[in-house]
Amino acid sequence: MEAMEEFRIQQTRRAFLERSTLGLGSIALGSLLHGAEKPRNQIGGLEGFPHFAPKAKRVIYLFQSGGPSQMDLFDPKPHLADHFGEEVPESIYPAERKTTMTSGQASFPLAPSTFKFARHGASGIHLSNAMPHLAKVIDEVCVIKSMYTEAINHDPAATLFQTGSVIPGRPSMGAWASYGLGSVNADLPSFVALTSGTGGQPLYDRLWGAGFLPGRFQGVKFRGQGDPILDLYNPAGVTRAQRRRMLDALGELNAKQASRYNDPAIATRIAQYELAFRMQMSVPELIDFKSEPKSTLDLYGPEATKVGKYAYNCLLARRLAERGVRFIQLFHRGWDSHGGAPKQIAARCRDTDQATAGLLRDLKQRGMLEDTLVVWGGEFGRTVYCQGKLTRTNYGRDHHPNCFTYWMAGGGVKGGLSYGETDDYSVNVVDKPVHVHDLQATIMHQLGIDHERLTYRYQGRYFRLTDVHGKVVKDVLS
Amino acid sequence: MMIRVICILLPFLLGGLAQAADLDFVQEVRPVLSDSCYNCHGPDAKARKGKLRLDDRAAAFKSEVLTNDEMLKRLTSEDPDERMPPPDSKRVLSLKDRAKLVQWLKAGAKWPEDDRHWAFVPPGRSALPKIKNEAWVRNEIDSFILARLERKGWQPSPQTDKATLLRRVTFDLTGLPPTIEELDDFLNDDAPDAYEKAVDRLLQSSQYGEHMALGWMEASRYADTDGYQNDRLRYMWVWRDWLIKALNDNMPFDRFVTEQMAGDLLPDRNFYTQVATGYNRNHRINSEGGSIPDEWIVEYVADRVETMGTMFLGLTLTCSRCHDHKYDPVGQKDFYRLFAFFNNIAEAGLGPNNGNSPPFIKVPKSWPNLSEEESEFVVPDPPKVKVVQTSVPRPQPGAPDTVMVLHERSNPRPTYLLNRGLYDQPDKSEKLQPATPPVLGVWKKEWPKNRIGLSQWLLDPKHPLTARVTINRLWQHYFGMGLVKTSENFGVQGELPSHPALLDWLATEFVRRDWNIKAMHKLIVTSATYRQASEALTLHLEEDPENRLLAHGPRKRLSPYQIRDAALFNSGLLVEKIGGPSVKPYMPPRIWKSISNATYKQDKGEKLYRRSMYTYWRRTVPPPTMMTLNAAAREVCIVRNDQTTTPLQALTMMNNVTFVESARFLAERVMKTKGLSHSRRIAHAFRMVTSREPTPGETKRLLADLRFYLDDFRRRPEAAKQLLTVGEKKADPMLDAVTLASYALVANTILNLDEAIMQD
Repeated sequence: MEAMEEFRIQQTRRAFLERSTLGLGSIALGSLLHGAEKPRNQIGGLEGFPHFAPKAKRVIYLFQSGGPSQMDLFDPKPHLADHFGEEVPESIYPAERKTTMTSGQASFPLAPSTFKFARHGASGIHLSNAMPHLAKVIDEVCVIKSMYTEAINHDPAATLFQTGSVIPGRPSMGAWASYGLGSVNADLPSFVALTSGTGGQPLYDRLWGAGFLPGRFQGVKFRGQGDPILDLYNPAGVTRAQRRRMLDALGELNAKQASRYNDPAIATRIAQYELAFRMQMSVPELIDFKSEPKSTLDLYGPEATKVGKYAYNCLLARRLAERGVRFIQLFHRGWDSHGGAPKQIAARCRDTDQATAGLLRDLKQRGMLEDTLVVWGGEFGRTVYCQGKLTRTNYGRDHHPNCFTYWMAGGGVKGGLSYGETDDYSVNVVDKPVHVHDLQATIMHQLGIDHERLTYRYQGRYFRLTDVHGKVVKDVLS
Repeated sequence: MMIRVICILLPFLLGGLAQAADLDFVQEVRPVLSDSCYNCHGPDAKARKGKLRLDDRAAAFKSEVLTNDEMLKRLTSEDPDERMPPPDSKRVLSLKDRAKLVQWLKAGAKWPEDDRHWAFVPPGRSALPKIKNEAWVRNEIDSFILARLERKGWQPSPQTDKATLLRRVTFDLTGLPPTIEELDDFLNDDAPDAYEKAVDRLLQSSQYGEHMALGWMEASRYADTDGYQNDRLRYMWVWRDWLIKALNDNMPFDRFVTEQMAGDLLPDRNFYTQVATGYNRNHRINSEGGSIPDEWIVEYVADRVETMGTMFLGLTLTCSRCHDHKYDPVGQKDFYRLFAFFNNIAEAGLGPNNGNSPPFIKVPKSWPNLSEEESEFVVPDPPKVKVVQTSVPRPQPGAPDTVMVLHERSNPRPTYLLNRGLYDQPDKSEKLQPATPPVLGVWKKEWPKNRIGLSQWLLDPKHPLTARVTINRLWQHYFGMGLVKTSENFGVQGELPSHPALLDWLATEFVRRDWNIKAMHKLIVTSATYRQASEALTLHLEEDPENRLLAHGPRKRLSPYQIRDAALFNSGLLVEKIGGPSVKPYMPPRIWKSISNATYKQDKGEKLYRRSMYTYWRRTVPPPTMMTLNAAAREVCIVRNDQTTTPLQALTMMNNVTFVESARFLAERVMKTKGLSHSRRIAHAFRMVTSREPTPGETKRLLADLRFYLDDFRRRPEAAKQLLTVGEKKADPMLDAVTLASYALVANTILNLDEAIMQD
């Protein structure tokens, strides 16, 4: 026991010495209460990270919450038009993969897409006419038609995409990235979550949470109402000069405490108050779009300056990316098209298509697309059979986990590539399947992280984002 | 930097070589084997490579790798095909750990026959260690702590000053600071038992039960919503009321656990014991349309097993759900045998659209003062599942006047091992009966094979874990860290105890005192160890930065609940009503609506100022102020919170409406204290928050700030008025707005002091 304790003390001493050399600007300074943390570098990343030269310095993940319909957007099955309303046999669509929202239906009639498809760009990638703006930049994009998941309901499926597990409690992807790589901007958080859209599927704080990682790695949610970051602004009537005065007093009085108690955590606290004070300046500057020329605003469309809209969030994402924020996670709600799918899908495309394409163009014109990985997709796809009443112009589609589409652009991904194939009914993947964990492994890889070596010991076990799975999809990398 | 690290480590490495022969297998070798080798050569038969296991003594020696140089060769080889762990496994075996294994093998691979992990051996009661400085010792705890310090050649710290001590113990026992009157009474009481009297007073206060309930609520994943997707409402506050009362009544811990685990089955069951079983219904429930009921029942039952594992056994049973445990001797079958205890609840797989999920019982209006008739056991209605939206099977919802409980089905649900933990992959070759893992102690024949028996097993005096794990959490409550730092994991991968003999002494003492919780609290807070001053010497900081040896008193940040409660308390805003339904205090605009389909309707009046334990807890959008200050998310059982410091905390403490309103009313309080000068007012506010008088230098600084704010607001009287509108409670119109606003900013400063949110 004696030797063991001596050993442990040596270890903690080492951790302490290393941490005490970090600059005050680093967000990485933690309290010693949980002193089991690994050594960190100057920007608060883990020693030895990144594992290799990253192709992407940052990620913008445009999560389309609710489950966009692959066969109405990216995965055309034109021959199905001739089979309108025919029963989808169980040999094609297995009963056990149906949710209990439709498994009790008397029939499962085939619902061909009402959208028109055409090939676009030099790559000739198929897109539906709901996304005319994306069509113009499609040569930047790698479309993966062979995504699949196990989860069949929104909550587990979205949680799997963001945290690698259907059961809540694990850290989100952005938290993992911040934990491994640290932060290059001392005045802004390294992981930001932006939400838009109303109605449809709710979102949950855990989708950008830190899970069992230390709390400082959680995504900071920017708010569409009130303070953009919780409690950012001084209370009514209080000026910045007054706050400065108060911080000086706090610094002076807290320093006395620090020397009395010899507690290094106090220095951390003083530093965090100063960082908060700087954020009170940097965040309003960040969300002030006045300096953006009209030509840029036009790229994102008419909602670019409306706080809380998807287009606004896309422009904000670019501004965050410029300032070195590592992981920017957008969530847009409203893709859950159980009924009235054609109208709903068209409406969601109107919310998002121009701004999404605008973001790609804007990044491109600034030379940032090559080191920014943009990811687009939801938690699963939709069924080929109709949920509810089927007509020539209207149908609903239930959740479908066996195949759906994602796309990526920039950040070392091959543009103008269509990857993977589904069967004639868009029910199953028939070529080059890509699992959720594979996508996660690939995103981490582009950030310079070997997903198998980004682990955290919790409850005696080494956890990682991809659990015990995940293969980097090398075929889509340039 | 690297060079420095090597310099520090090198002497250790060399020292390590010299004493290689002394390596203790259980304490020093097995943790390394476990961490680096057991993934492929451990208890999990399916994952085992090369038929080699290094967790089992007989099997390891039989394989001969320990003695024929094979393992030594593999550890020292540079050939990637030979080297262990294989480079492509991505398992890291550090240089020093590798050196350790090499030395162990070279010294003959000594592996004692009784190699049980320390935590699986029932606690023994050792004699008190001999110590030199006997005058310092107040009770048995101190002997153990001092012996360890003396071995290192260190002395404990002197007792802290009386004011700090009263503040410390008042926060620890009630979650609130002492009042000025309590402080003065204590400071003026020179009787030798003054402290003990104060402790007794605090243990008797009803705030004690509230404060102690919080840790239990976080561990029991208590919340006001179901936790998935639309996150429907539920009503479990009656269970919280039961909890507070049980703690205030000092219900013995064995009874406390038994009622929660089996209150529906006990021979003397009644309405209250039934309410207690809500503990096992606090898990999340999925109500998402389209979900498959059988899948989710498995999740609920597994959650109960896992929560029991963390709270009582300190084991990560979750691992055994999908495969044999990789490190601890708990097989996958063991998991499902525990699962069988909880698999017979008359519950539905999907939750209703809002409301409690069956089984639930109706709570009489007279709660908690039930008549004799109302106190009787109630048989809940069975689930009445109705198919809606073509095929979604929903049960009847329980109204706001119900509470969820446990209730057994009449026809038992069969339990099978589930391959990979999946509901649709049962191994039907064997039906599993309720049983406990053999490694964790014997099961007596007379115990019924149900949750009553399970409680008897947990609370058996010979049980190796329950008392240790519970006492360790108690220790963590006071010292910020358990004697076993990984309070959630006592398994092979957990950390070793810093004071093993003390842990065992406390565990056996707990049993010896008939599981009297308050007695154990009193034992700890009256020890000399607890009463030490918390100033750390540079020597301590360098050699024991986590204060594991307790050469000085604990210095820890207050919990999120304490921080908010103390601010409300000091400003006189706190409404000290015990129990009742959850309340909805201030939240940012559209807190729920912005990401879900529900709307937060903020309460008014006194409900804004209740203690934080009553704040409505929506699991998918938990109260952001609490989360910013590191509260547990209440998704799964959490017994240890991280305490990182972030800029968001600073923003909350400076600008959040609750804290600004508290500053306003702290300012009013001191302004209304008659006949005080500016500096006396400042000192008064300072003392209310920190329990000590400010130094002249501190007063001078804050007084200068007050003058600055006065000058500033005099030029901008409208701004002063604006500041006084933050929060719902109106400022006293008799007070001058400029003065009040200026004081509010000074109070805001005081509430943001490190000392205000720390416990020294």
